[in-house]
Parts: sequence; structure tokens; C-alpha cells
Amino acid sequence: MKLSRTLEQTEAYLGERFPVDKLNYASMVQKKEVPVHRLSWAYYLGGLALFFFAVQVFTGLMLLFYYQPTVSDAHASVEYITEHVPGGALVRNMHAWASSLMIAAVMVHLLTTFAMKAFARPRELTWVSGVLLFGITLGLGFTGYLLPWHQVAVNATKIGLESVEQIGAYLPGAMAEWPRAVKETIQGEATVGQATLSRFFALHVIILPLAMVGVLGLHLVSVQLHGMSRGVDEEPRRLEKFFPTFFIKDLSVWGVAFMALFVIALCVPFESFYAFPLFEPFDPNGSTPDGIKPEWYFYFVYYPLEILPYWVILLGSGVAGMVLLAAPWVLKNTTRKTLQLLAILAGIYLLVMTICGEQIYHLFKS
Amino acid sequence: MTSLACKQSSVLIATLLGGALCASAYPEFQSFVVQHSKRPVNCAMCHTHADGPEGTAPGQIGRLNAEEQQRLGMARAAFTPGQNVDSPILNAFGNHIVKSLGKQKFMEIKLAPAQLAELLPVDSDLDKDGIPDVREYLDGTHPVNRHDGHPWLLFKHNFQKSLPQIVLTLVATVAGLWGLGHLLSGFAAATRLKEETADEA
Repeated sequence: MKLSRTLEQTEAYLGERFPVDKLNYASMVQKKEVPVHRLSWAYYLGGLALFFFAVQVFTGLMLLFYYQPTVSDAHASVEYITEHVPGGALVRNMHAWASSLMIAAVMVHLLTTFAMKAFARPRELTWVSGVLLFGITLGLGFTGYLLPWHQVAVNATKIGLESVEQIGAYLPGAMAEWPRAVKETIQGEATVGQATLSRFFALHVIILPLAMVGVLGLHLVSVQLHGMSRGVDEEPRRLEKFFPTFFIKDLSVWGVAFMALFVIALCVPFESFYAFPLFEPFDPNGSTPDGIKPEWYFYFVYYPLEILPYWVILLGSGVAGMVLLAAPWVLKNTTRKTLQLLAILAGIYLLVMTICGEQIYHLFKS
Repeated sequence: MTSLACKQSSVLIATLLGGALCASAYPEFQSFVVQHSKRPVNCAMCHTHADGPEGTAPGQIGRLNAEEQQRLGMARAAFTPGQNVDSPILNAFGNHIVKSLGKQKFMEIKLAPAQLAELLPVDSDLDKDGIPDVREYLDGTHPVNRHDGHPWLLFKHNFQKSLPQIVLTLVATVAGLWGLGHLLSGFAAATRLKEETADEA
């Protein structure tokens, strides 16, 4: 009796979050409408992230034709792609730029969705899948960073994996060994080497993209089933048809994004923002160049990690991660104004740490 | 025969002298570039090996064969400017410096490394990235790597160079979007018409 009631409740809960009766063309496309208001621009960010993901898949497949995932050949194969393969520099540059743009789009999408309280009932699953997609995107960035096997890639990965191991010092009993086990599993050998490269390669080109496609599918279907969340407290100015009006606008945004990406990838090598010694092939017997640091999208956690005690960052990241994942339940009764304020503060923090993190670090260390 | 023997002996003397004087890289220049550009640089700016000429790795003195040692000696004997040098421990920029200044002048400005930017030919651009070698030296970017340079300068140069491709891509993108937009609008209109006809019926 109790079991059947629980099953009924579960069915009702899932039915509301995943209304299968709307799983048809008419509901998901034909009759879908998009509210127009002061924050309507935020509705294009998810599509933008999807566009950059599509670029990543396409350019990544192109790079796979030539890339060699071995410590002896990885760097040389990347150099071969850049210097000798026709269009290789452009494809590689598009892959590098689009990864950053995808992460930026996902971050802004997450913040705006949070500010618009788009996680509220019945969109909890859409939100949770979105947070998972953010995690997978960062995972793709972290694993892809190692693949060219240059100085900054290998040394930054070492730092990243050491940070994972350090968590053990703050865990009780047998759990203290878990982070080390995780690190060793990812690393595959005593230090970052061939086993690590093979594992990162598998994660980057197969495991994480498959996970991404699965979760993304759930996320997109969920978005189409529920439609766009209203996003603001006031009544929308009007409603516009998703198909074709919004869809054509979305495609236009993709067109602009493509042109911007094409021009920037053609004209500005991604590596030009970094000192050249960082892109020399990794030499385990050679000296480590100055300026080793992770990609810009990890600065928000990397620089505080360099300044503050490890446990502070661990606690802060843990709480922030939990709140983010459980936002639909934890922040159920929070007003949109408060959420907007929180999102603006988080955005300012991310911007300051990304742009001025190094200066802040030097300020604290001097 | 005599002149060849004379040349070989002068190379040998220069090698020995040079070897004693400058077997290591010139850290004064590296320090200047780091200070001026605020970018970390290493010996790879002028040398074949990132850790400089000393050692036994490829591109370092300990790994040179007889022919390479001879080339090294000749490069070290190039005291006056204008001599074609092909030192195996130097990259194209390092050889360019020796050719442009001569070894003697280069060693004279060791204590005033900023002068190197004034003495090198201003129009030389070894990697053809649109940024003169002198500017790359001052910026701490690699003078023989066309993917390394001041991002804004690279953008300006590459944009001008690739303008036809950019314009063509822009036209194709706009035309594609215009066509796709009309196609989708057509689909939507056709579906609406079909629905209306069905409603009327």
C-alpha cells in the first residue's frame, strides 16, 4: 500500500517535470512561444553554448585525423597540424577559441538562468542537468588542456591533480585515502605521463562528449517540453512564436558567433596571449618555465587557492557547488531580485578573478 | 691551401677563445627582455635549445658533431657584421643578430642590452608575422614563431592578409542565413495554411 503510494507520488513528480504528453511536434515546436522582456537576450545564451559545442565536435574530429596521443609524438603532431596541414592552424585555433567561448557562454547562461529563477518548479531537472553540463564542460576543458603535451599543459595538470590529492587531508578516517585513489586513477602512473595522456585523451574525445550528448539531450528535451521560463516578475511585453521567429533569430546569433569565431581564429593565435616558453614540448629533464597556470576559466578557483588556506577554498567550493546543484529546493522561496543580486555578485567575482586574479595574487604575496 | 689552413686555424683559435668567453648564453639580454616585456622568456628566443647552449641535449654544444662544431667555430669567428653565419646552437634570430651586428659589437653591448633593439635592422621580420624582430625582442615574443606575437599586432596583420577570405565567408554566412530564414518562414507559413484549410473544412 505504502509502496504503491510512493510509486504514484514518484510518477506524479516525474510526470510534472517530464510531461510526456507534450512530447510531440505541436507542443514542442509549433505552439511554443517565447516571452519578450528586458532579459530576453538571455534566452539566446543556451543556444550559443550549443553552437560552440557543435564547433568543438566538428573541429575536434578534424584534429583527430592528425593528433597522436603519445608523449613522444603529441606535441610534434600538434605542431604538424599547425604548420603543415592545410587549414590546420585555423581548425586548431577555432577549437581553442571555441572551447573558451563555450565555457564563457555556459557560465553566463548559468548566471542568467539563476538570476531569472528558471530553476523553479517544474524545471528542477532542467536546472540540475544544466549544472551537470557545466561540470562536464569544465572537465572537457581540463582534459583537453593536457593533450598538446607542452610545458604549461603538463605542469598545470600536475598542479590540478595535486589539488585533488590535497583534499584527503581534510577528510576523516578511510575517506582520507579516496582523493589519492581518484588522483592515481586519473593519473594512471606515478607522475603525469603516457598513462595520464591516454586517459585524458579517452576522457576528452569519448567519455565526456558521450556524457555531454546524453545530458544535453535530456536538457534540450526538458527545455522544449516546458518552454522558456518567464524569467521576470513583470508581465512580458509580448509573446513571439518559437518557430520560426525565435528560431531564425537564434540562427542569426549563431551566424554572428561563427563570423566572430572565424575572424578571431584566423587572425589571433590563441597561444599569443601566453609566453612562448610555455608552449615548448614538455621535457621531464629540462627546466620548468615561469608562468605556469591553468586556463583562464579556472582562475576563479586557482588564484584564491594560491592566496587563501586550502580548507577555505575547499569549504567555499563545496558549499557553492551544493547550493548551485540544489538551488531549486534551497532557493525555492527566494525572490528574483535577491537571485539577480547574487548572480551579479558572482559575475563580478568571476570577472575580477579572471581579469585581475594575478595582480591580486601579487598584491597579497608582496 | 695556405689560406684554407690559415682560415681553419683562425676558426680554431676563435672557437677556443669564444668557447672560453661565451660558451654560455647571454643572460643580460634575457633579463632585459623579461624586465621590459614583463613576460617570461627563455634561451629559445635566440638559441636552438630552450635551456641554452651548454649541455648534451640536441641543439647544445655537447651534442654537436664535427661539421656542426666547425659551423659553430665559424659563427664565433664572425666578429664583423655582414657575414653569413649558421651556428647550430642558435636559431634564425640568433644567427640574424650575429650577422647584423657581428660578434664583436654584440659582446660590446652585453651590458646595455636595450641597444640591441636600436642596432638590429628595423624592417627585418624573420617569421613574416607582420611584427618586426626588433619589436618582438622588446615585447618578449618569439621572432621566429609566426603564432607568437603581440595579439593586437597579429590581429591587424592577419586581418589585412586574410581580408578576401573574411569577406567571402561573411557573404556566404549572410546568404546562407538569409536563405535558411526564408526557407523556415516558408515552412511555417505552409503549415499555418494547411492548418487553416483543415479548420475551414
